[in-house]
Amino acid sequence: MLFQIDFKAGKPVYLQLVDQVRYAAASGTLRPNEPLPSIRPLAEELRVNRNTIAKAYAELESQGVIETIPGKGCFLKENNTPFSKSVREKLLLTEIDEAVVTAHHLQVDREKFLEMVKERLDYFESKSTNSADGNSSKTTPRRTE
Amino acid sequence: MKASEPAIKISELTRRYGKQEAVHNLSLTVRAGCCYGFFGRNGAGKTTTIKCLLNLLQPQSGSVRVFGLDPNRDEVAVKSRLSYVPDAVAFYPWMTVRETLEYFASFREHWNRDIENDLLKRFGLNLTQKASSMSKGQKTQLALITAVCPEPDLLVLDEPTSGLDPIVRREFIETVIGAYQSSDPEKRTVFVSTHLISEFEGLIDEFTVIEQGRNLLTMVADDARDRFKKISVRFQAAPPAPLTFAGALQIKQNGREAEILANGNSEKLMAELQSYHPEDLRCESLSLEEIFVASKTLTQSIA
Repeated sequence: MLFQIDFKAGKPVYLQLVDQVRYAAASGTLRPNEPLPSIRPLAEELRVNRNTIAKAYAELESQGVIETIPGKGCFLKENNTPFSKSVREKLLLTEIDEAVVTAHHLQVDREKFLEMVKERLDYFESKSTNSADGNSSKTTPRRTE
Repeated sequence: MKASEPAIKISELTRRYGKQEAVHNLSLTVRAGCCYGFFGRNGAGKTTTIKCLLNLLQPQSGSVRVFGLDPNRDEVAVKSRLSYVPDAVAFYPWMTVRETLEYFASFREHWNRDIENDLLKRFGLNLTQKASSMSKGQKTQLALITAVCPEPDLLVLDEPTSGLDPIVRREFIETVIGAYQSSDPEKRTVFVSTHLISEFEGLIDEFTVIEQGRNLLTMVADDARDRFKKISVRFQAAPPAPLTFAGALQIKQNGREAEILANGNSEKLMAELQSYHPEDLRCESLSLEEIFVASKTLTQSIA
């Protein structure tokens, strides 16, 4: 997978990487058991400190998104998050709040916001190519390639 | 060495050249395993400070410790654990690349041949070329190889990329990230002085801005980017009076548009600006380079 970092985003670089892996996992760009780039080449390519990448991967591991197999690297886990439902919902809530605040700043009204959320949900569902991901999604996954 | 021992600890360092004070009461601490940026304008005292780390100069007051040791008393112990790349590298002109590398390796207990071969190939250096006929970029590449191969605990870089073309600069930084940190990254400490800050942006964990020999600002890079933000706003109509916001560091206003520097209170400012129902409102972090340029304004307001 390819990463894009932005020092002006106001978000620590390691969290940007965390978000992008989670995004890639959610959108099916990265599939379970697929390897993540190893730390050294990725650090060189993005020209960031290796510690930053290591920190991002450690964070993803603690969130249960990826797992490290010693000597082999990091892999995206099957979609079984260790968090309880309420914790997961709480995590999502902060993200939603952020989006709501941004929408307010950009003067996107309630109806338009909800419409956009639905649109994105449809988009991700149509893109999801993984049938074995424990999600209760009813849509039949399609292979996009 | 204890795990918590800082790689570098400078306490109230002062160094004068005649009457001219180059470094005044400078203190800073570099954790082991961290990449530390040392930013300052020309003549701010960066090189003087670095020379004190290497015992090329002695402090007139205050102290300098490298791995807890005094570079003046334990010069060999300190130097065996660090490498230094100066801004202008000089090699014996009659030596070839091969001879230069052997010469440097002869001083070191440890020399990683794999890294050497890897970097020679990467930089495309010709082993039989004499140093006298090498370009500035090639000399810097050679200096970097001699600095990285001993795999020292501390890499001191003084303006390493100035005067190099963008591709060589890029390779230089990739090498520092890749080859230098290839094993034991927790132990590999980088202390880099530069004014080409944007290139090192992703590498820097923590930094100090030095001005006229004084420590102007020391911060963790992520904290700095979180704290200092630039808010751009475009109103529907020009506000009748010039904008004032409590807590804004700087306000630049031009008709309907304004740019506001925020110091840790960007959310409050954003909310305040929102009440004007602007056409456009954006907030972005300052880059380390912008923080450096604005550091005088920033610190005046903090003080």
